Amino acid sequence: MDLVNVDSRRARFETLAPAVIDAVRRYLARRTDPATADDVLSETLLICWRRLDEMPAEHLPWAYGVARLCLANAERGQRRQFRLLARISRLDPPPQTVDGPAPADDDLAAALCRLRPEEAEILRLWAWEDLAPAGIAVVLGISANAASIRLHRAKEKLRKTMTASGHEESTEGSRP
Amino acid sequence: MTDDDDLRARLRRADPAASLEPASPAQVAHLVEEAMSSSTKKWALPVAAALVLIAGGAAWAVTRPSAPEPTPAVAVSSLPARVVELTTTGVQAKCREPQPEQLASSADFAFEGTVLMIDNGRVTLTVSRVYRGEAADEVAVAQAGDSSETMLGSGKFEKGRNYLVSSADGSVLICGYSGEADAIGLRDLYEAAF
Repeated sequence: MDLVNVDSRRARFETLAPAVIDAVRRYLARRTDPATADDVLSETLLICWRRLDEMPAEHLPWAYGVARLCLANAERGQRRQFRLLARISRLDPPPQTVDGPAPADDDLAAALCRLRPEEAEILRLWAWEDLAPAGIAVVLGISANAASIRLHRAKEKLRKTMTASGHEESTEGSRP
Repeated sequence: MTDDDDLRARLRRADPAASLEPASPAQVAHLVEEAMSSSTKKWALPVAAALVLIAGGAAWAVTRPSAPEPTPAVAVSSLPARVVELTTTGVQAKCREPQPEQLASSADFAFEGTVLMIDNGRVTLTVSRVYRGEAADEVAVAQAGDSSETMLGSGKFEKGRNYLVSSADGSVLICGYSGEADAIGLRDLYEAAF
C-alpha cells in the first residue's frame, strides 16, 4: 500500500470513527459492565480499522454487528472468571457510571425478562439503537425479511406479556 | 403505528445509556489513534488452526462436502508428511448463528478431544468421541496466532481442556462450530447435527 492510500484510509477512519465510537459505546453500555465495554470498544475499533474497506456505507449496523460478536467472545472468555468478578463487585461495587432512567419501568423490565433473549435483543436494537429491520438484519446476520418478522412478533409478544401481567399502561387498541 | 411509537417510547425511557455522557474528544482521539497504530501482529492472525490427522486408522477418505463451508477462516495446504502449513486469510468478524444443518452438511470430520500437549504451535488432542468421520486416536491441529475471534471459549486451544472440533477438508470450522466443549450451546449443536 502506498503512502497516499494509507493517508486517505486514515483520514476516512478518522472521519467515521467518532460516530462509531459514540454509537458502539452506547450499545455496550446497555449490555455489559464498564470494564468489558471499554475492552470490547477498543477491539471493535481495531476490527473496523482493519476491515475499513469492507465497511458498508451504512456503517453503524455493521459496527454493531462486530461489537456484538466481540462482546459475545469477551463474555465467553470471561466465563471462568465470572463468579469471582461477581463476588468482587458485590463486596466492592464499582461506582455507578450510568444513571438509571428516571422512574424505573418495572413492568417493562419484567416483561422484557420474560421474552426469549433473542426477542428482547431485537426490541433493544429497534428502540435503543434506533434501527429499522434492515439494520437489525445486518447486526444479527439474518435477512431483512426475517428481522422484520421477528421484530413484529417480539413487539406483539412484549405487548401481550405486559397486558398479561395486569399492569398495562394506556395502550388502547391492544388485543384482548 | 402509534401503538408502535408508544412501545418504542416506553422502551426508550428504559434505555440505560440515555444519560451516558459522550466520550470526550480526547478519549475519542485516543481510541482512534490506538486502533490505527495497533500493529497487525496481534490481530491479523487471530485464528489459524488446521487439522492433521495422525489417525489410528489410515487415511480417512476425505469425503468432500458439496455444500459450501460455513466460514473457512484458514486456507490449508498439506505437505507430504501430513504437516499442515497455514496461510491466514484473516478471520470473518461477523458470523451467522451456527446452525446444526449447516454443521451436518459441511463437516466431514467432527470429534471431541482433550488437549494433550501444545508444542510449538502444534496442538495434539486425544480423541474421546468421534461424531463424524473415521475413528482416530489423536488429532493434531496447527495453531497460530494468539486467539480467534470466532472459536468458542477462550478462542484458542489450551492444555488439558476439552474441545469439540469439526473440520471440512482439513480446515477447522470456526464461527461457532468449534470450541471448548462446555461453551454454551456447542454440545447441543453437535448433538443436533450428528
